Amino acid sequence: MRRLTYICIVLLIAATSFAQSPTELWARANQAYSEARYDEAVADYSAIIDAAPVITRAYAPVYYNLGNAHFKQGELSQAILAYERCLRLRPTDKNARYNLQFARTQIIDNIADTQVFFLREWITTLRNMLPMSVWMWSSIILFCLMLVCLLLFAFSRSIGWRKAGFYISIICLLCSAVAFANAASLHHRDSIRAEAIITRGIVNAKASPDRSGTELFTLHEGTKVTIHEVLGGYANIEVGNYNGWIPVNTLERI
Amino acid sequence: MKRRFYIFLAVCLFPLLGVGILRAEDVQFRAQAPAQVIVGRPFQFTYTVNQRAKDLRAPEFTNFDYIAGPYTSQSSSTSFVNGRRTSSFQMTFTYTLMAQKEGTFSIAPATITINGEQYTSNGVKITVLPEDQPATNSQQSAANNQQPTVSSQRQSTGPEQGNIFVRTLVSKTKVYEQEAVLLSYKVYVAGVDLKQFTNNTTLPDFTSFLQQKIDLQDVQLQLENYNGRNYQTATIYSTLLYPQKSGDIQIDPASFEAVLLVPNQARSRSIFDDFFNSYTTATRTLRAPGTTIHVTPLPSGKPASYAGGVGKFTMDAKLSGTDVKANEAITLTLTIRGAGNMKLLKTPAVDWPEGFEQYDPKVTNNFKTSTGGMSGTRTIEYLAIPRAAGEYILPPVQFGYFDTEKGQYQVLSTPEYTLHIARGAGDQSAVAQPAGVSYVNKEDIRELGSDIRYISAANFVPANDNEVMRMQFGSWQMGALYGGPLVIALGLFIIFRKRIRENADIIGVRKRQANSVARKRLKTAKKLLAEPQHKEQFFEEIERASLQYLSDRLSIPTADLNKDTITSTLRGKAIDDALIERTNRVLSDAAFARYAPAMGVKPEELYAQTEQLINDLEDCKL
Repeated sequence: MRRLTYICIVLLIAATSFAQSPTELWARANQAYSEARYDEAVADYSAIIDAAPVITRAYAPVYYNLGNAHFKQGELSQAILAYERCLRLRPTDKNARYNLQFARTQIIDNIADTQVFFLREWITTLRNMLPMSVWMWSSIILFCLMLVCLLLFAFSRSIGWRKAGFYISIICLLCSAVAFANAASLHHRDSIRAEAIITRGIVNAKASPDRSGTELFTLHEGTKVTIHEVLGGYANIEVGNYNGWIPVNTLERI
Repeated sequence: MKRRFYIFLAVCLFPLLGVGILRAEDVQFRAQAPAQVIVGRPFQFTYTVNQRAKDLRAPEFTNFDYIAGPYTSQSSSTSFVNGRRTSSFQMTFTYTLMAQKEGTFSIAPATITINGEQYTSNGVKITVLPEDQPATNSQQSAANNQQPTVSSQRQSTGPEQGNIFVRTLVSKTKVYEQEAVLLSYKVYVAGVDLKQFTNNTTLPDFTSFLQQKIDLQDVQLQLENYNGRNYQTATIYSTLLYPQKSGDIQIDPASFEAVLLVPNQARSRSIFDDFFNSYTTATRTLRAPGTTIHVTPLPSGKPASYAGGVGKFTMDAKLSGTDVKANEAITLTLTIRGAGNMKLLKTPAVDWPEGFEQYDPKVTNNFKTSTGGMSGTRTIEYLAIPRAAGEYILPPVQFGYFDTEKGQYQVLSTPEYTLHIARGAGDQSAVAQPAGVSYVNKEDIRELGSDIRYISAANFVPANDNEVMRMQFGSWQMGALYGGPLVIALGLFIIFRKRIRENADIIGVRKRQANSVARKRLKTAKKLLAEPQHKEQFFEEIERASLQYLSDRLSIPTADLNKDTITSTLRGKAIDDALIERTNRVLSDAAFARYAPAMGVKPEELYAQTEQLINDLEDCKL
């Protein structure tokens, strides 16, 4: 009998917590945030994300607000993670960009970026401007446009139309290829999830993936690193010009 | 004569009357008794009154044995100082009483009649100490261990034994950091004549304390029962200590040098010795034991507004006004009242709104140091001058301190003030500038702080993207979206390949279009035909039309186009000679007409011929 009561209670609690629709949770979390109850806000925002069947672009504001709540609690690495995730969903979000930059000013590590060829930097910036799906659809649409122009070129009697069709189709093909390349690059990034944020306050990178490895350098919470491979609980990471092995549990992939 | 007498009487009586009135005003009727008495020892209890009085009605002396009294005595004195006469009179009623048991008892006020009026004295509170206990040896030795005892030379057991020592008294042994501790040294004397203390005093150095010495006013001897014995006691040194660090702080022993009067030990005892005891002075070093104070550190969780205060405080705030003009001063006066480490309080910060010029606060202290600690008020005046009109909010000023009674931090706060600043002389806000005066101080936007941007409050709808939008990169759908159109296009290319081939054949196209191009030119030529002044252009158009047509139709590049190539090409296509002849004639006529107008070629004729030629050539299979 007592057992039954317990089960009933558990079910009741579960029911009340599941009964919250994402919209209600969102309103409640925003309320909690405005009243500086950041831990409750974090819990509610996280609940929205946990309950989501698929994370779509619509969830970008949730990550953004979650990042803010984490930041207010002083959890820098979690805040940076949330902002990064928000920007993955909506790279054009100015506020998230600003707050990420602001949060980055608070982290300890000052990573001097490796000198990247300016063109490569431009390309990366261009790539990150739009989400993968937009690039993919642009590529498809441009490809179709290219075919239409090609048909125009092939079938038009008018020299003017033929010329226009010919050049436009070439431009469309190039743009489509660029869009495809960007989409592919983003897809690759999102599928391997190589970028990660250090979540532990301080972590020493070692020369080999074991405890006895020579310690090479120290990283602090909130720093963004690139994971190259994972081997027996250690991840080979690269940050700036440094490369070393750190325990996997000190990282969280974006 | 009679009148004179009255004047005399008045002059004589006036001073008396005046004095009488004066005296009636300040009757002092007081009961006096020692603060402490010992059980079984008689003491004197007196009433004094400064006027001639009668009918003293003393209360019942419960708890006290009445032994004798009242003995009445009078005394009066008159003195002239600088010609002014002052006289005093005192009547004293003395009772001899004896306490029955120990405790604290009060004696009710007495009444007395002066000039027919009744006066009431004050009540008196008397602490009755127990009798001296005959000290047993064990007790004595314990006392010796604890307190350095100086015994008089005459060694005898019992209460008569001379004893003098100094005790170290601490108001609290367990305090918080910054909480005041009263440390005092008290001398206990029994059976010894203490004359004075020399300056040869060694006090511990109160490092890790902030020290605040208390000035002892006239030292009064008090009776105190200590370890079963009654002593005359007096506080000889008293100081307030504010611990500056936490932990067990050791206070070293202190030493005092006392001068005692010691009766001379006559070598030969004579009968006079008892009457004329001669004394010599002897110095004794009295050591006060050290002590330890346990200082608890202040708990964590200091409020942001913590100003270093430990104790108990209240705060009042007064704002000079909430409605002022720009460039007129506003004063916020904070009065912090309380007891604690007043001296160490930091001035709370006032967060004046932007646009207020602020000045250093003026601090006025009014502290009093007593055995209870330091208390008093600290008044802080903040002066600020608003420079621009508008409505501003002065946020509450907070003052955090540690409450030693509650053992937790408290934050006092002033109310929030809304300031209405009206425009005043020389207001900085641009609106206040009179029209025509267009000088405005330009300022860059001042950054006051930085923070993350606020959360997104837009409505959140967890929209599920439709299946198509959620297409995976590299999925078959994606391939289909590329492949489908491609296949369709290829199909179209294959189906209409003939047309493509035709389109690709530029010469064929030209051939096909030669007629329409030539006709267009002929049309222009016809227009020009109507305007005789454009004759030259007409011929040019005719020549061009025929040449262009031949070039396109016969696929001869314009550069190679001449009579010979045209003739040979036409021959090669098996065109009859008459048509070739006509062709050549039209070309030459057009050239002649153009370059040699004198030859008299008729434009209408030429136009008709050209049109006819193109029509004929079009019919030929070329």
